[in-house]
Amino acid sequence: MARPPDYDVAVLGAGIVGASAAWHLARRGMRVVVIDASGPAAAASGASDGAVSVASKKPGVMARLANRSLAYTRRLAEAGGPLRGVFGDRPSYYLATSPAEEQALGDLVAKIAALGGPARVTADGAKAGPDGVGPSVTRCVALAGEGHMLGYAAVAAYLAQAGVDRLWPVTVEALEADDAGVTVSLTDRNLRVAKVVAALGTSSTALFPGLPVTPRTGQLVVTDRAPPGSLPGPLTAASYLVAKSASPGAPDKPPVVIDPLSTGQFLIGSSREEHGDCARTDFATVRRLAARAAEFWPALRARHVVRIFAGVRAAVSDGLPIVGPLTQSPRVVLATGFEGDGICLSGLMGREVAAMVAGEAVSAGAEADIAALSPARFSRREARAR
Amino acid sequence: MAEPRVLIVGAGLAGLAAAVGLARAGFASLVVDQARAPGGAIHRQPLPGVAAHGLPAQRRRWQNLRAEVTAEGDRIEILCNHRFAGIDADGVALLTGERSRFIRPAAVILATGATERVVPVPGWTLPGVTTVGAIQTQLKTTGEPPAGRVLLAGSGPLLCAAAAELAAAGNPPVAIVEAGRPFRHAADALALPAGYLAEASAHLARLLLARVPIRCGMHLSRIDRHGDTLVARAEGGGRHLDFAVDRIGLHDGIRPNGYGAAGTTVPVALAGDAREALGARAALEDGRRAGAALAARLAGRPVPPDMSPALERERAAQQRLRRIHAHDLGARLVAIGDDTVLCRCENRTAGDLRALGGDPTDRELRLRGRFAMGRCQGRFCGEWVRRLQGDDPADAPLGAVRLPVRPLPLADLIDAGEPDEEN
Repeated sequence: MARPPDYDVAVLGAGIVGASAAWHLARRGMRVVVIDASGPAAAASGASDGAVSVASKKPGVMARLANRSLAYTRRLAEAGGPLRGVFGDRPSYYLATSPAEEQALGDLVAKIAALGGPARVTADGAKAGPDGVGPSVTRCVALAGEGHMLGYAAVAAYLAQAGVDRLWPVTVEALEADDAGVTVSLTDRNLRVAKVVAALGTSSTALFPGLPVTPRTGQLVVTDRAPPGSLPGPLTAASYLVAKSASPGAPDKPPVVIDPLSTGQFLIGSSREEHGDCARTDFATVRRLAARAAEFWPALRARHVVRIFAGVRAAVSDGLPIVGPLTQSPRVVLATGFEGDGICLSGLMGREVAAMVAGEAVSAGAEADIAALSPARFSRREARAR
Repeated sequence: MAEPRVLIVGAGLAGLAAAVGLARAGFASLVVDQARAPGGAIHRQPLPGVAAHGLPAQRRRWQNLRAEVTAEGDRIEILCNHRFAGIDADGVALLTGERSRFIRPAAVILATGATERVVPVPGWTLPGVTTVGAIQTQLKTTGEPPAGRVLLAGSGPLLCAAAAELAAAGNPPVAIVEAGRPFRHAADALALPAGYLAEASAHLARLLLARVPIRCGMHLSRIDRHGDTLVARAEGGGRHLDFAVDRIGLHDGIRPNGYGAAGTTVPVALAGDAREALGARAALEDGRRAGAALAARLAGRPVPPDMSPALERERAAQQRLRRIHAHDLGARLVAIGDDTVLCRCENRTAGDLRALGGDPTDRELRLRGRFAMGRCQGRFCGEWVRRLQGDDPADAPLGAVRLPVRPLPLADLIDAGEPDEEN
């Protein structure tokens, strides 16, 4: 009955997590096909600011995994690695303008110390920010060791070096797992594969309707070019750390991040909206972001907005990504729900997912944290392949 | 906030005609324009103290329209020196300028005219090389033609019209390089409406008098700068000519400038060249039509058809003009070398496009290619990227068109206040 597999693994989703998984799988000698409904970096990976940040992660599992992934990503960027020239080192700054935000920065300093590197605090105080920070900033924490990696560039680099087959735009209609493999139903034909990695982000629920993944929109502003280097690294409002750690809701002051691009442009983000419409942008929201951003970095007032856009992040009900084999269909490994943390976590997650597909143990020391991401935690409403 | 009005963007022929059409049906409008004075591209008003330009018939057409606007009193407000940044998903429009503000219009009419096409050649981004329209703008606002030797190149009836205007202003171009062979299409030319023929004859008579050579069947293959001089090479028919000049105007027809018409909650309509590039005669007619049609839609009455016999005549005439100027655009594009800039906003070349390999998605063209990611969002390079990719038709935008419709000073966005504040 079952024909021999066309591929060892089908990776569904050509975002940064899928691309990293594909590269790690191909490196193990597996025959891999990457399938996407539209193309590479078509959703959150292509709409992100590219910050590889540990500071912004929720304390606990996420901060530990992000820290491990940051260290691993730095290795992938060394000579001969797939991310050479894609990941770059840069300082990062976290700013407070109120006592509550100052308190959040205190928590940040403690969190970074507990993680023990590679990120470290290089300065802390009212004057610790880069030149040009606005006068209402009362405390700044400067970090070294974090970095920057544009999502679409990382996807392109992983795919170029993985030597995998690519299929897009192709929609996966259904997955059917049996004892010998998985049948991947495409619109016009079926593929037979031994295993599947589903890194589908916000599209996950189309194939796995039980997963508690919802799209969360963020609007961003792109400016024209200032002389490159006027801001050495991203400025993040401390309220962003609070927003990421607390349940969603609209804080009084938008949790803004100002990210300097290598072109001299700035990316100002982002809102967090529950409607999940990635085509929806509105002036009121971006005006509040812009006003807050200009408070932190007054030179922005001289820039022009060239583009406002929205992206969607795949948010999970309990705030943790979903990574691991399905209990009912262990040939299908999920890697989704990163909600804006995929850029930072993609390096490590690609490696761990490849280990799971190969039937090997995950990285020593990370077992418990990775187990916490297992889809089994939703087992009562098991996310079964349709 | 006052009762919502219709926002009309562009105070040229189409925009003001639309305002009159709306006012006569009982709807008030606010007409916003970036220029100092109404007029648009065709009736661009001279700076104070500079004599008015244009043929008497054209001036009368404009004065009549201004009188119709005046007769409507406070149903039409014109706001100059302000720019439309776009209308968002909540139906909030942003106007920037001396006093930036958010408004909630009942509907929007974009009467934003056309933009010029320029086929990219090596050197088209050099200082001293502009569109022919930019030379006309300089002439209309200052009354002065550009100094020194001027070369006009590309294709279309505007080349001869602008050359005649330059001749009338005392500095005829050294030559016109026209890619088509318009003088070989006598039958089509004679079938043009009388007004077109009269205008063309007047232009040609002036060019003849000023001894301006028209090199047909040739196009520029590159432009170089040697010191203060631009050297343009024209090729065609197996020969080439070099021109040493001070200023070059390029023009390969026009395309509608209807950006900003998507993604909102209120009706958005297009009028004039922004809807279909049919020229000045059609703009007046189409503005009236758009105003009346929107009024009907807002009042819940049946909407009249979007074409009239007069507009059909203009469309047929424009098609005839395109046939008269037809030439092998594909041959010009095939010759585009890897070092030719396609996107001047981000300085992206044909080589950058080709380096993306096989069949990039629109997303890859944007993210990895950086095409349509600059200040103009691909208004100018999009067609050439599409054509070099072999896409036909070539007018689909490279991905979604984003707010703002033009670069928006961040300070203006912040200073506009909250959208629903009284200001």
